[in-house]
Amino acid sequence: MKTLINSTMLAGLGIFLSGAPWILEALGVGFWLDILTEILIWSLFAASVNLLFGYTGLLSFGQALFFGLGMYGVAIGIAKLGLGFWPALGLGLILPTVMATFVGALAVRLTWHYFAIITLVFSQIFYFIALSSKPLTGGDDGTPFSMPPMFTLGEIEVSMTNFTTQYFFILLMVTLAFFLMHRLVRSPLGLALVAIRENDARAEMIGLNVYLLRLISFIAAGALAGLSGSLFALFGRYASATYMFYHVSGEGVVWTIIGGAGTILGPAVGTALVILVREELSNVWEHYQILVGLIVILTVIFAPRGLMGLWDNMLTRLDARRGGVATPVPEKTRNSNQKRKPKPRRKTVRSEVRT
Amino acid sequence: MELVAALAINGLVWGLIIALIALGLSIIFGLLDIINLAHGDFFMVGTVLTWFVFSSTGNYWLAFLIVPLIGLVLGALVERAVIQPIRGTAALSIVATFGLSIIIQETVRATYGAAPKRILPPIEGTIPLFGIEYDIYRVFAAFVSIAAITGFFLFLHRTKLGTWMRAVRVDRETALAMGVPATNVYILTFALGFAMASFGGVVAAPITTVEFQTGIDVLPFCFMAVIIGGLGNLPGTVAAAVLLAVTEGIITSFADPTIARITSLCLMCLVLILRPHGLFQGATQ
Repeated sequence: MKTLINSTMLAGLGIFLSGAPWILEALGVGFWLDILTEILIWSLFAASVNLLFGYTGLLSFGQALFFGLGMYGVAIGIAKLGLGFWPALGLGLILPTVMATFVGALAVRLTWHYFAIITLVFSQIFYFIALSSKPLTGGDDGTPFSMPPMFTLGEIEVSMTNFTTQYFFILLMVTLAFFLMHRLVRSPLGLALVAIRENDARAEMIGLNVYLLRLISFIAAGALAGLSGSLFALFGRYASATYMFYHVSGEGVVWTIIGGAGTILGPAVGTALVILVREELSNVWEHYQILVGLIVILTVIFAPRGLMGLWDNMLTRLDARRGGVATPVPEKTRNSNQKRKPKPRRKTVRSEVRT
Repeated sequence: MELVAALAINGLVWGLIIALIALGLSIIFGLLDIINLAHGDFFMVGTVLTWFVFSSTGNYWLAFLIVPLIGLVLGALVERAVIQPIRGTAALSIVATFGLSIIIQETVRATYGAAPKRILPPIEGTIPLFGIEYDIYRVFAAFVSIAAITGFFLFLHRTKLGTWMRAVRVDRETALAMGVPATNVYILTFALGFAMASFGGVVAAPITTVEFQTGIDVLPFCFMAVIIGGLGNLPGTVAAAVLLAVTEGIITSFADPTIARITSLCLMCLVLILRPHGLFQGATQ
C-alpha cells in the first residue's frame, strides 16, 4: 500500500514535470513555469545541504559559497572570457568542486558546531572578496551576460533563450543530479556515510576512513551546489555576490529540514513549499517571512524528520490500520535524523572537537 | 597618524560593546550548547526598543533601565517557547534560532519599518584624547560597557544565581542532585544573554544606525570574538572582541573596511584550525 501510493505519486510528479510547459499553458498560468524552474534549481541546492547533513551528519552553513562560485564560473566564463555555453557550464562546475576540495580538506577535520561555523566563515570570506573585487565580479551589481547558443545544427540554433528549451534543459540536469545522488546514497559509499552520521567513532572502528569519506561527501555536495549555481546563473543570466551571503546557505538548510533531511526528495518538497508560500503570500502579506520562520521552528520542534517524515508516518499508520502486511517503522530508523550523540557528562569544549 | 588613533579608539569602543553582546552569546553556548544565530537580532531589538523609548518619552536614560528588563522578559519567553522543546538536538538548534532570527527581523520590519533611523547621542560634544577631538558619547559608551561587563562577572562569581549558572555548566547532573533548579537556570541564562545583547543595543544605538538589519552585521563579529576567545571562555571572549575591533580599526585606516573584515575572518579560520579551543586556552579554566 505504502509503496503503491508513493510510486503513484512519483509517477504523477514525473508526468507533470515532463509536460509542465503545456499543462501550465493549458491552465492559463504559463508564468508559473519560471517559478517551477526556480524550484528545480533551488531543490538541487537543498540536496547538497542534504547530502552533508542528512546523509553524513555535517551541518554546513556555507553551501552558498559553492552556489556563488558556480554562478560566477558561468557568468565570468561567458562575459569576461568569451567562452561558449558548454565550456562555461564546465567552468561553473569545476570552480566550486576545486574550492570544495580545499575548503573540505580543512573543514571536515572539525565536526558539530565547529564545522557549521567554519563553513560559514569560509563562505563569508569569499563573499567579501567577491564584493570587493569589482573589476572581476561586478561586486554588488553583479555580472550580467547574454546567453550563448547551446549548439547549432545547420540553420537551427538551440538556445536557452527559448523558455521551453530552458525548462527542459534545467529539468534534465536536475533530474540527472538527483538520480546520481540516489545512486550514491544507495551505494556502499553512501552506506558508509550514513554509518558516519550515526556514530563516527564506531565507523572509525570498523575500519572506515572517516576523514576521507567526509571529504568525499563535502566535495560531492560542493559540486551539487555548484551545478545549481551554474543553472541559476544561466536561468537569471547574471551572477551576483548576494547569492554568496550566509543567509542563502541558511535558506538551503531550512528547506532541507522542513522537507526532511536524509531523504532524497525531502529537500525538494521543502523547497517547493517555501517558494510556493513566498510566491502566493508575498503579494498578499508583505511580511510572509514571519510565517516561514514559524514553520521552521514548528518543524524543528514537532516534526524533526520534516514533511517526508510526517508523510511516512501517516502511510505507515494507514498500512497498520488496514492490518495487511504492514511493517511498523523500526524504532531505530524512526529518529535516525536526530543526532543521538551520547551526551558527555562533563561538557568540556574538548569533547566537542574530534579530528 | 591622527586617523589611525581615531580609528583605533573607535575600534576599542566598538570592541567593548561587542564584548558585552558576545558574552551573552558565549554564556548561551557554554550552558545551553546552542549556537544562537538570532543573537545579532537580540542586539537589534535593543536598538529598536531604545528608539521607541526615546521617541515616546524623550528621555534617553530611561532606555538604559527599561530595555534590558524587556530583554530579560523576552529572553525568558523565547527560551521557554523555542529553546526548551529542542534541548539535546544540537544541530537542529541552529536551524531553530535561524527561524527565530527571520521572525524577529520581519516583526521589526513590520512594526518599526524598513527605513534606517538615527538617534542623537544623549551627551554631545567632544573631548581631547591622544591629540584628537573625540566624541564624548563614545567615551561614555566605553565606560558603560566596561561597567556592565564587570557587573556581569561579579554576578557570575559573587552571587548565588551566578554560582548556579557555573555549576550547571560544569556538571548538570551533580548540580541537579545538589538541588539547583537546572531548568530555571537555563531560562535565566538565555534571558540574561538576551538582556546583555539588548543592553549593548542601548549603548550602541547612537553610534550605529537603527534598522532591522543591523543584527546581520553584528552577528559574525560576535561569533569571531567567541571563537577566537575560545567557545565558552568568557574572559577570552572579551579580550578577543577588543583585540579584533582594534585590529580592524587600524587596518581600516589604510585599507578598505572589507579587507579588514577579510583579515579577521582569516584569523578566525586559522584559530579554528590550529587552536580550536581559542587563542587563550589555558589562561582560564
